[in-house]
Amino acid sequence: MDKFVFFGGKGGVGKTTVSCAYGLKCAREGLRTLVVSTDPAHSTSDVFDQQFDDDPEPVAGYENLDAMELDPDEEVERHMQQIKRTMSDQVSPAIVNEIDRQIELAHRTPGAYESALFDRFIDVMRNSEEYDRVVFDTSPTGGTLRLLSLPDFLESWIDRLVSKREQSIDLFEKAAIGEREARRRAEEDPIIARLLERKEMFEFAGETLRNDAAFFLVLNPDELSIRETRRALSDLTDYELGVEGLVVNKVAPAPDEGEEGTGATYLRQRYETEQERIERISSEFEEPIVAEIGQRVEEVKGSLLDEVAAELDIEVAREVRA
Amino acid sequence: MTLAERIEAYRETLEEWLHGLYHGMIEHPAFELIEKEAEDNDDEFMFACFADAFGIPSPISYYTAELLPYLGEEFQQWERRMWDRESLIERKGQQYHF
Repeated sequence: MDKFVFFGGKGGVGKTTVSCAYGLKCAREGLRTLVVSTDPAHSTSDVFDQQFDDDPEPVAGYENLDAMELDPDEEVERHMQQIKRTMSDQVSPAIVNEIDRQIELAHRTPGAYESALFDRFIDVMRNSEEYDRVVFDTSPTGGTLRLLSLPDFLESWIDRLVSKREQSIDLFEKAAIGEREARRRAEEDPIIARLLERKEMFEFAGETLRNDAAFFLVLNPDELSIRETRRALSDLTDYELGVEGLVVNKVAPAPDEGEEGTGATYLRQRYETEQERIERISSEFEEPIVAEIGQRVEEVKGSLLDEVAAELDIEVAREVRA
Repeated sequence: MTLAERIEAYRETLEEWLHGLYHGMIEHPAFELIEKEAEDNDDEFMFACFADAFGIPSPISYYTAELLPYLGEEFQQWERRMWDRESLIERKGQQYHF
């Protein structure tokens, strides 16, 4: 089993429940486990009845289990302040205002949120030596998938930027005929250094995602979530990220034989349709169904979480593939 | 002043003039040409980094904003240049001195 485990899927299918249950299962088997919630709605706090923040914190009442909730807004703010601080050391005060505007703009674009989240992802993955397993409860499909496709995309972009910059430095050096001092030199260019630093980070992320991460998609036995799962699967395959399995959540229970009331009839029909769909899922998708989790009447928390954890048939092998 | 000294002075002036002519006709335009090219190149770089300054959303500007502290002066000049550049021909034409 890989060190990093991602749970994704359509909104509302119960990703948080499944990831918390899986985290718990790992912890129960003695693995130091961290559950990371990246969903802005943050329901990890509700599942464990405990408020979490940006730093890993032990979950009360469970051994070996920590949790954290990533807050991209805070990260965006921090990133911006840091740049502004560097700037006041580097740039003359006369033009600070003009550039301040650009910095603010860059942090207000829609991509900023994703980039910040991505940075935190990488941070967590980089600083996770003390954990045996890190479980990511990701935000609904679209956002997460885009996030996971970032490394490739950004790497090639940065490559292009670096080569452009090198080209112009080269030209400036050539323009320095005779005694003239070149306006710029490659060795001491902070821009290239900065870009390469970033590139390294993206490479790390890409490699980790491809080699040390497992993905599971959570879905409900209904038409919409099956379709979304199909799309998600094809996207993930495009990014060369293999999905290990599917978790079917919120499966309706069958009524007992001989019950014939309106409620029982409804439930029986529903149960039959859902079973058909599960049938279809297991025949149409290449990925195996690793768990079918029954629908609960109450919110899943406390002892119910243990029950759910027991229903999860995802291996928790101790040794982590390097 | 001896004849030798006069010849010497004459040669020095001639050399200075010739060097000036060489600089004006060949060295300087060449230098200018390369530097302009480098500037154009730089502009492209800046644009790739900060396309959002012109209203084009760029997924990378969050990261390239980190470069701004080092690009301060350049950034401002670039922005001004981009706003009032008239055409590529105008820009390329600048290198010919009629």
